[in-house]
Amino acid sequence: MMAQVIEWLRERTKILKGFFFAFLVFAVVFDFLIERPEPHFWGDEIIGFWSIYGFFGCLTLIVVFKGLSHVWLQKEEDYYDR
Amino acid sequence: MTGSIFVHPATYFLLGAALLPLMGKLRLQKVWLILIPLAAFTQIYYLPESFGHVQYLGFDLVFGRVDRLTFVFLHVFTLMALTGCIYGLRVKETGQHIAAFLYVAGSLGVTLAGDYLTLFIFWELMAFASTFLIWYRKKKRSIEAGYRYLLVHTAGGLILLAGIFLLYQTGHDLSFGVFSQEGAGWAEYLIMIGFMLNAAVPPIHAWLPDAYPEATVTGAVFMCAFTTKTAVYVLARAFPGFEILAIMGAIMALYGVAYAVIENDARRILAYHVVSQVGYMVCAVGIGTTMAINGAAAHAYAHIFYKALLFMGAGAVLEMTGKSKLSELGGLYRTMPWTMIFTVIGGIAISGFPLTSGFISKSMIVQAAGDAHMTIILVMLLLAAIGTFLSVGIKLPYFIWFGKDSGIRAPEAPWNMQLGMGIAAFICIFLGFYPDALYNMLPYAVTYEPYTAYHLSETFQLFAFTGLGFYLMVKHMKPHSVSNLDLDWFYRRGAGSFMRFAEGPVNRTNEWVSNVYKTVGLRFTMASARAFSWFDREGIDWTLDGSARHVVRSGDRLRHLQTGKVQHYIGGAVAALLIVVLVAALL
Repeated sequence: MMAQVIEWLRERTKILKGFFFAFLVFAVVFDFLIERPEPHFWGDEIIGFWSIYGFFGCLTLIVVFKGLSHVWLQKEEDYYDR
Repeated sequence: MTGSIFVHPATYFLLGAALLPLMGKLRLQKVWLILIPLAAFTQIYYLPESFGHVQYLGFDLVFGRVDRLTFVFLHVFTLMALTGCIYGLRVKETGQHIAAFLYVAGSLGVTLAGDYLTLFIFWELMAFASTFLIWYRKKKRSIEAGYRYLLVHTAGGLILLAGIFLLYQTGHDLSFGVFSQEGAGWAEYLIMIGFMLNAAVPPIHAWLPDAYPEATVTGAVFMCAFTTKTAVYVLARAFPGFEILAIMGAIMALYGVAYAVIENDARRILAYHVVSQVGYMVCAVGIGTTMAINGAAAHAYAHIFYKALLFMGAGAVLEMTGKSKLSELGGLYRTMPWTMIFTVIGGIAISGFPLTSGFISKSMIVQAAGDAHMTIILVMLLLAAIGTFLSVGIKLPYFIWFGKDSGIRAPEAPWNMQLGMGIAAFICIFLGFYPDALYNMLPYAVTYEPYTAYHLSETFQLFAFTGLGFYLMVKHMKPHSVSNLDLDWFYRRGAGSFMRFAEGPVNRTNEWVSNVYKTVGLRFTMASARAFSWFDREGIDWTLDGSARHVVRSGDRLRHLQTGKVQHYIGGAVAALLIVVLVAALL
């Protein structure tokens, strides 16, 4: 039963994508509307700061650590057995 | 009831472990596995404030010291033991359950310990018992990983013990209380290092991602809950407000998440992620304000359930498919949808979605960091939150249940595993809806309100745009069948180098030395022995009037008198008796 629901959703990825991008817009718009508490640091005062931080933070994590893995850390799985 | 040993909840698990083989024979193993954690869980509500004072060899051992900090950890430990036992109900090997019971007993013992000696005993019980949860996987890799785990923890235990000795030497007081940063010296820091090893603080963390992925399916569920969280408890008890912990914790949170982003094995990703999440708690202990300590306890509580839930999900996949590498999995939503749903609940809870336990616990720590004006730490913790959502919230479920179809059509996990996951998932959601259930248990009164507009907005933005990042980079996130080096390289490769050094240069030198000894040394020794013997005979005896020679000569004569024939001796004895009688008669 559960599997069919997921299957049904998978056939409609366009709608899901639409929801996702709508949510992105909502997240930013929501930040314009809310009341802000006393800031902990300058980032708290900028509207949409956490969107930028989330996006670039995510890209940085992927690029830096995937990169580190590729050039240095990754080894065959039986590295220690040899 | 205060005087009875049944006050202590660990007693139930110890007794339970001892009687498990019998219960197995009576076919009552499953009942016993539920009954024991249930009894212990009930018992924690009836604990007196202090109990189990024992005088031993001049030491005051305190087996039970209960306050609010103890209670929240006891609550989560016993409840988790129950959930874990349900999940592992169908494991037939009694030995595995015995190991799990002893492990839980150790953890409860540490939590209740009021002095360092009691703590140390239960601390070692935990390390020892949990090793068997790795060994019971019975694969060559697990056996090796188990030995490494045991050796690392033994080393950590010795560091802790050294600290305890120094502590005793300075103050003759081993009660387990709060240290202050100003007065801390060698004793305090050695104890801290011992605790930090169990909390998997880098650079002494590598045992965790080394051992947990090699443990049994149920073993990993138990291990991810107890060792690190017990360490968080003892750190919170002894070292609140130590700045070094705040810094190390923030580094830890990022370190774990970095590896979670790049690893391939599902259970290794989760293991690295334990490092990251425990980083939040260690950081909170280091911040040390009442809000932070509350946050550490709340996060430990929430974390135990969602991390166990994730380990249960990955374990169920491993159990049903025999695989745990993301590169070999994919498309499992068709046949294991319920496991997927439970695991996704774990994933969103750990990421801190609104209406899940992560949202109400993690944010307390972030808030505490902000209130203490630790901006860099706050930013680091939020970057770790992004990495959490990226690695465990999206990457892990995506590549197991969706992604490229691996063609595996494994059946759904058995009912007891689903029930275990269901309970954990329920707790994750329940705490999100009703945070006061957790907040009311915390050590200090809570003034924090998680559901503010700003906190919601911050969370929405972080997750939405992390999702966008993943969506754009999904090609680069594709898992490959590789593993990544970590600091265990030093003792895994280092041990190899040491063995080669021992087999090569050391062994050759040893052989050469013994050859030299055989040819030169042995002859020299014999020659000098002969020389000394001659000197004894001729030199020393001559100076002493040859008395030694006389003794030798008279001894020789006496020896000749002794013929060894029984009739001669009897004859001699009769003659002697006759002489004695004659002398007596004449007198």
